[in-house]
Amino acid sequence: MCGINGIFAFHPSAAAPSRDEAVRIRDAMQARGPDGFGLWSNASGRCVLAHRRLSFLDLSERAAQPMLSTDGKLAVTYNGEIYNFPALREELEAQGVVFRTTSDTEALMHLYARDGQAMVRKLRGMFTFGIWDETRQGLFLARDPYGIKPLYIANDGWTLRFASQVRALLAGGAVSRDPEGAGVVGFHLWGSVPEPFTLYRDIRALPAGHTQWIDRAGPRAPQPYIHLASILADGARAPLPAAQIAPEVRDAVKDSVAAHLLADVEVGVFLSAGVDSGAMLGLMRDAGCSNATAITLSFAEFRGTSEDEAPLAALVAQKYGAKHIVRTVGEAEFRADLPAILAAMDQPSMDGVNTWFVAKAAREAGLKAAISGLGGDELLAGYASFRDMPRWRRRFGALAAVPGLGALARGVMNAALPGFVRANPKALGMLEYAGSWEGAYLLRRGLFLPHELPALMDRDFVAEGMRRLRPLTQLSGTLSPDPHSNNGRVCVLESEHYMRNQLLRDADWAGMAHSLEIRTPLVDIALLRRLAPAIAALKPGMGKAALAAAPSIALPAQIVSRAKTGFGVPTRAWMAAAARTNREDLAETKGLTSRRWSRKVLETFVPPAGTAQAGSPAL
Amino acid sequence: MLALVPDAFGGRGGIAQYNRYFLTAASTAPGIEQVEILPRHAPDAFTLPPGLRQVAPGEGRIGYILQALSMALSGKIGVIFCGHINLVPLAALAARLSRSKLVVQTHGIEAWGNPGKPYRRALESADLVLCVSRYTRAQVLSWAAIDPERVVVVPNTVGPMFTPGDASDLRTQWGLTGKRVLLTVARMDARERYKGHERVIASLPSLPGDVVYVVLGEGDDRARLEAFARDTEVADRVLFKGGVGRDVLIESYRMADLYVMPSTGEGFGIAFLEAMASGTPALGLAVGGATDALCDGALGIAATEEDFHAALARQLVAGKSDPLALSAAVAARFGSETFTACTRSVLKRLLQG
Repeated sequence: MCGINGIFAFHPSAAAPSRDEAVRIRDAMQARGPDGFGLWSNASGRCVLAHRRLSFLDLSERAAQPMLSTDGKLAVTYNGEIYNFPALREELEAQGVVFRTTSDTEALMHLYARDGQAMVRKLRGMFTFGIWDETRQGLFLARDPYGIKPLYIANDGWTLRFASQVRALLAGGAVSRDPEGAGVVGFHLWGSVPEPFTLYRDIRALPAGHTQWIDRAGPRAPQPYIHLASILADGARAPLPAAQIAPEVRDAVKDSVAAHLLADVEVGVFLSAGVDSGAMLGLMRDAGCSNATAITLSFAEFRGTSEDEAPLAALVAQKYGAKHIVRTVGEAEFRADLPAILAAMDQPSMDGVNTWFVAKAAREAGLKAAISGLGGDELLAGYASFRDMPRWRRRFGALAAVPGLGALARGVMNAALPGFVRANPKALGMLEYAGSWEGAYLLRRGLFLPHELPALMDRDFVAEGMRRLRPLTQLSGTLSPDPHSNNGRVCVLESEHYMRNQLLRDADWAGMAHSLEIRTPLVDIALLRRLAPAIAALKPGMGKAALAAAPSIALPAQIVSRAKTGFGVPTRAWMAAAARTNREDLAETKGLTSRRWSRKVLETFVPPAGTAQAGSPAL
Repeated sequence: MLALVPDAFGGRGGIAQYNRYFLTAASTAPGIEQVEILPRHAPDAFTLPPGLRQVAPGEGRIGYILQALSMALSGKIGVIFCGHINLVPLAALAARLSRSKLVVQTHGIEAWGNPGKPYRRALESADLVLCVSRYTRAQVLSWAAIDPERVVVVPNTVGPMFTPGDASDLRTQWGLTGKRVLLTVARMDARERYKGHERVIASLPSLPGDVVYVVLGEGDDRARLEAFARDTEVADRVLFKGGVGRDVLIESYRMADLYVMPSTGEGFGIAFLEAMASGTPALGLAVGGATDALCDGALGIAATEEDFHAALARQLVAGKSDPLALSAAVAARFGSETFTACTRSVLKRLLQG
């Protein structure tokens, strides 16, 4: 994992890029790549690429970036890991390609030289990269299918800039901070800024699973090269028989974990007392990683209670022969770290604090890379949304389809029982949103509902932000083509929205702040392809049970049964306390805490003009 | 391509000139077989380059609308070019009815604010929005929900007639021998007071006595500016020369020591290019689209409003350095070859997409 950036003055009227600006952007990402740095520009000086390196494969200087092809016609700056690199290398060498390094970076160049832009279809992994093509005088950008790695683009009409972080682009000094209403409103709606928007109008994310070509005629529209919905739709055409699900999950996840261990450095694991991370550790052992370092967070508040994950995690670690490190975190440390947490947050997030501390602990343990069980709930129907959303649609879908009924009911209830409406903002939303999958998902994951937003920000700003954001349209777009199963639909919505915009982004900034690469074997396109027929056929609990049984030594029964009740984390209470004023020292619901925290986080970013969020929140 | 424009050939002003350049370049683009132009106005005589056909406008607004729709539906139109945001609802309708691609051109201040729902929705339906400057592009993106890749900058260009040269005859004729000459070329329109004439006039008392300010252009605000010069007691140092023909305009640019236009409302500022192509340094404000013409200070001087007076004084001391080099640099970035290549590449992109 690294930090990449570049500047391409594509328009003939534009001045050549400033190398100083490129360096400012690059060095704003120092934590992403403390092992090395580089800067390169093409012969005409119209394109500058830069790189901050955190090295995992071929630690030598010959693998430094930006890397040039032997003939000097290609240059690449790349962030990520290509897990099928050994197979790709073998394939290329069989065709006569001679490698100078043992890094996956070089493979990207050879693949591009052979396959052109179609090369992305060959890649398994997490990645973003930019390849300068001197022959075609153009820049090729790409991002992995799930969007594990971030890539942001700022195009002012003359010059295109890209970087791994929004804040880095701003640090260059040439990108406007004009607010993007869709980003601000979207953050209030979801608790994270929904891609492709950011808080800033001139900065957008390259969508996951897309490539983009830029040449003298300017940036082309990003082109998708993969659709999660299509993969799930294909899988649903031939659902796996129930008896075959567990073996298929075992084989597929084992393969993914083994692939994700590719590195020339030690790869550890985040270990909670849940099924996902425990299975990761068990499968790491099966893949030959017999003494992995496992990091568990423990909270002082929970010590000695059933909420403490450390004892069960220790049981798992012992079962798989791991070197177990329990790192205890308390509220005092949270408060001490809070300024650094907010400073590291690339875009506002209502979460990520847990990831911050577990990444911190991993780095303290000397790790540069760690496996995470992130993605298991999305892949294997672990969330309540897989059960709730179809149920909501069955119960309320017909009523919600009546035009205006939901708004009318809300109006009546507002007048008759305003306290109930305030305390249960989503309950009435059933009559407005449960008629569609995207509406149900908004109910499931929305931090606020659209009608609540004018109480937080200027009404016109909200209206304009919603018009640009079009949240329901955006959600429904990801469901095209239809995945042909309820599990598939929820899997796509959770993977392409909550997981991408919240979990993976948090993993990136919180991990990178500690120069730690977080690897996610359960967020893997090859895995999804294999399990798509199983996902369509999963019954409640079946997926996680299969995962728990996937290691050759199955997870202890306590883990499987305990996972059903879940664990609490005190960070939510700490966040609430940090966000509250003294006079509000009252117990509050989880939803209210999230809302209050999200607003505190947003206030630490430059308050975009036209919004009222710098003032006292209307919570 | 059917071009619905306020004016082009036979028209006056910067937008007409831009349209002439654009449509001429478009007529050479691969995939564009013929360019048919329907202007709202064409008061002057004109000669059309090959590949272009301009139709006489219909009577009144209704006549223009009917004629535009009739032309859109009568033949095989692949692209509708809309030369001004005021025409975009009509152009969008014509594009929809004829199943053509829609290209909308935006210029300056008229596109900087939300023009209202019918205009906004029509523009959002465009396949390509062309902007004369980065600033105009940013403003369009602030109110239009449209993919940023569809909003492309095609900057103004400068004609090949604007080159450095000896203009001592004009100096003699206008009694400016031995003087240092500031020049502004702009309409003096009461609705366009952002051009900044007053700011230059107000600076004159603190500049050396041999500095003279020549103002070219006409407009209903001229009398007020003349009165302002008198009130500032520099009337003898401000020459209002009115509208001039092209030859005198070219000579004027060559003659000036500094082209100065501290405008706060330029969509681009073609006069900056013409002055610099004529070898004369240019000074403007780093506001709006002027920063593009001045190339962020790489070609001309883009001062802040606070620093404007000091920048003016500094540039008068610096004088003209290398007119030929400045002219060549302008041609490289904004010359007709660059403009034509830019136009052809965006149209190629449109037709391929």
